[in-house]
Amino acid sequence: MRDYEADIALQAMDRYDQAEAFISETVVNTVYIDGTRISNIETKREAGMMFRMAKDGRLGKSSVSLNSDDAVRNCIETADTVLSFSPETPSFKGYAVPAQAKIACPDVWDKKVVEITADDLRDLARRVIENCTVDIPRAQIRVSATESRTVNSNGVDVSHRSTLAYGHFTSMTRGDHAGEGMELYHGIGLDGLDPVRIGRSLSEKAVGSSNSKEFEGSRSLTMILPPDQLGDMLTSSVGSAINGENVKYGRSLWKDSIGKEVASPCIDICDDPTVAAPLSCAFDDEGTPTERRTIIGKGILGGFLRDTFCGDSTGNGMRRSSVEAQGAYDRTPTIKPLNLTVRPGSKSPEELIAETDEGILVERFAWPEADGLTGRFGLNVRCGHLVHKGEIVGTVSNALLMGNMLECIRNVACIGNDPVQMGVVTVPTMSFEGTELVGGN
Amino acid sequence: MKAATVMVAEQAHDELSAAVQRMRDLGAGFSDARSQTVRTTGVSSMNGELRQLTEKSTGGVCLRAWIGGRWGYGTATSFERKDIMTAAEDAVRNARGDGIPGLELEPASVRKHLRADVRIHPDTVELSEKISAAMDLDRAQTIDERIVNSVGSYAEEVKTNHIVNSAGSDISWEEVRTICRAVSVASDGGHMEQYYEGPDSTRGFEIVRDADLESIGRTAATEAIATLSAERAPSGHMTVISDPMVSGLLAHEAMGHASEGDEITKHRSFLSDAVGRKVASDIISMYDNGTVPGAHGSIPFDDEGTPSSCTKIIDHGTYTGYMHSLETASRLGCRPTGNGRAENFGKRVWVRMTNTYFGPGEWDKDELVSETRDGILCDKMVNGMEDPVGGCFEAKCLRGYRIRDGEIAGMVQSFTLTGKSVEILCSADALTKEVILDGGMCGKGIEDWVRVSSGGPYMRAKMIVGGGQ
Repeated sequence: MRDYEADIALQAMDRYDQAEAFISETVVNTVYIDGTRISNIETKREAGMMFRMAKDGRLGKSSVSLNSDDAVRNCIETADTVLSFSPETPSFKGYAVPAQAKIACPDVWDKKVVEITADDLRDLARRVIENCTVDIPRAQIRVSATESRTVNSNGVDVSHRSTLAYGHFTSMTRGDHAGEGMELYHGIGLDGLDPVRIGRSLSEKAVGSSNSKEFEGSRSLTMILPPDQLGDMLTSSVGSAINGENVKYGRSLWKDSIGKEVASPCIDICDDPTVAAPLSCAFDDEGTPTERRTIIGKGILGGFLRDTFCGDSTGNGMRRSSVEAQGAYDRTPTIKPLNLTVRPGSKSPEELIAETDEGILVERFAWPEADGLTGRFGLNVRCGHLVHKGEIVGTVSNALLMGNMLECIRNVACIGNDPVQMGVVTVPTMSFEGTELVGGN
Repeated sequence: MKAATVMVAEQAHDELSAAVQRMRDLGAGFSDARSQTVRTTGVSSMNGELRQLTEKSTGGVCLRAWIGGRWGYGTATSFERKDIMTAAEDAVRNARGDGIPGLELEPASVRKHLRADVRIHPDTVELSEKISAAMDLDRAQTIDERIVNSVGSYAEEVKTNHIVNSAGSDISWEEVRTICRAVSVASDGGHMEQYYEGPDSTRGFEIVRDADLESIGRTAATEAIATLSAERAPSGHMTVISDPMVSGLLAHEAMGHASEGDEITKHRSFLSDAVGRKVASDIISMYDNGTVPGAHGSIPFDDEGTPSSCTKIIDHGTYTGYMHSLETASRLGCRPTGNGRAENFGKRVWVRMTNTYFGPGEWDKDELVSETRDGILCDKMVNGMEDPVGGCFEAKCLRGYRIRDGEIAGMVQSFTLTGKSVEILCSADALTKEVILDGGMCGKGIEDWVRVSSGGPYMRAKMIVGGGQ
């Protein structure tokens, strides 16, 4: 792909000790639902490049959208200017070196996504609307096809192509105490997006949450998180603690914990790019081979994720996003899990609830996120179901659930058997002891 | 590759006009064409060494066709005439959603060409001075071995926009933003805390030259270390004095998002029928004002070409109005307020805030603390989330202070605030005299980030506090 631009970049690399070009080309189609009607449909076409180089210990970098003949040369010239002003960076360890793939290239290209039309997307959105009995105030279905290429002066020349499908749906009842629901969809294609199931689930969730009561007082209890809430809680806490750059700069509480117990013995987590997930690939966006890698085994920390900046790259230097294909060329590689996977347990979510004495099943936080530095969280529960002696006894809203995610994974009560792929993570429902719920009065 | 038509945003008139006409010819009732270039320079220095130094340049076009009350969009990272025409045809072809028959837009017809009002344009400053600023901010944090991570950063954005629409508008303008930050992480071996400091604005490089970088860096480091000795924040329903940052977060999250016109047309806001209703105590007035000189969220025009304006949202406790794009204004029979904004040329236009803040009161801060028997004083925000349906919000605070019997009685770690927005604002009983704005990014739902600011005075009210673990 983009041989013209790649050739110009390769020719310019002779002037530097090391250099690298990343080129991406993307087509994105999106349909939006606003106020239960299909409000607009978009087609986006973009192409761009980032050029990085090193000379005499100095680094240069620039990115451009490929909107003219001169764009590539302008990009290289700007990067060269940046390099000329740059102070020396002693910790630079070099770009990727050529290597054999360690895994078979996962099947992440769905031809149906490439060929989708505005009419197809509109019809899919319409079926969600038809199967939902309440309002859909805001939703979107976005599909994209991206081709990317990494070339560098060490001889790396790897190409990747992938498709991405993402859906975000909200629902709402009307009336004085309106209830809301939400559904997410992540995948490499639309085969798993069932508009009937999503429409019905949106209805059930919104109606269910309209019966919620405001929680009052405070209570220590077990937190039960379904996959769509646990995914971001895990990436923001564990994902941050295993990030090699955070380790390098002393920002990870686990920086000295390799070989030590950081989680319950029942926890096994690996980074698995071998299955079809949005960021699965045989080579990362810097050209380093990827592989299935154990992060935590039986609660013991096995390793960190690294890119070329950290050195000894594990193949986790990524520019692409698991939800948004647009702008990949514009992003400096950062360390990302490719598909952080928690080994599922044997219990169904229903059994998990039945084994909980006092707990809350969180259907929806305002936004599920723990502090990346400390693991702390204090999150507004938009809809949660209180559990008492194994049974759901009520639905609450407008309360704060507090805890520390890095402590929570040491206090795992139970792991479900229902893993769901959510962006860069694949997680089942899990329950954690030692959290506190606080409401008004 | 064959020869391309190279242009920058302000030279795009002919191509954009042709695209607008092409969409009209294909059946668009209204159409607009927007080109944009965005140049950014980012420098960060970490633990004494340069970590990031980059210059980026993106640019492209966004074409919109309004046909039968529905939008179609086409965008491209290209300034070639044939690619712009393809995007225009995409836009018309995509206008196949559910229409609103008879809904006419009322776009402005403006012809204006503006440069950014800055004293020192970043383009006139050597890159070496920008690098030095970031490294000075980093170096100034080296005051104690408990600082395990220090970051000094400088970022600038120079954006040029050009809009042509079928109502006759031909507008171009430039936006400049500059930001400096010092972020310190302190550790005592057992746990870690962080603190940040630094200015932001739509000013030029003068904010760097006018700043005391040494002091900013030292403050971040000193306060991060001080936070190591903070205790866990209390939990419960209690008196809170929000600092200007957290007051702004309340304005933005608790009332601002719910006042966006599209949430009203979708009946997704607890403020849908609130005009004329009492929603706060008499001392509370609130504004969204895109015209505040130098503020991070200020814009001369929105991304539909409507001139920016000041919307009074709450007037002495009474709810007065909403923010609008072209579409929501027409649907609600109002004038557009200049709040139709997009993250960039590749993103959709939504109703978005600009600079959102509470007006001032009459108290001094020291007086406010001394007149508070039992409460908590906020010190800086982390982030927040809106809840336009439920009328609640979530605001995370970086740290705070306990107040007992009118005295500061120790520092507390990060905590979260929540509660019913109207109940909280009705409980507000004191505001200080000075309004301070703080710049940042605002996402709508889960993406579409635009630059905004929010702020206010110190404000005393009752809300739910949750201390983290």
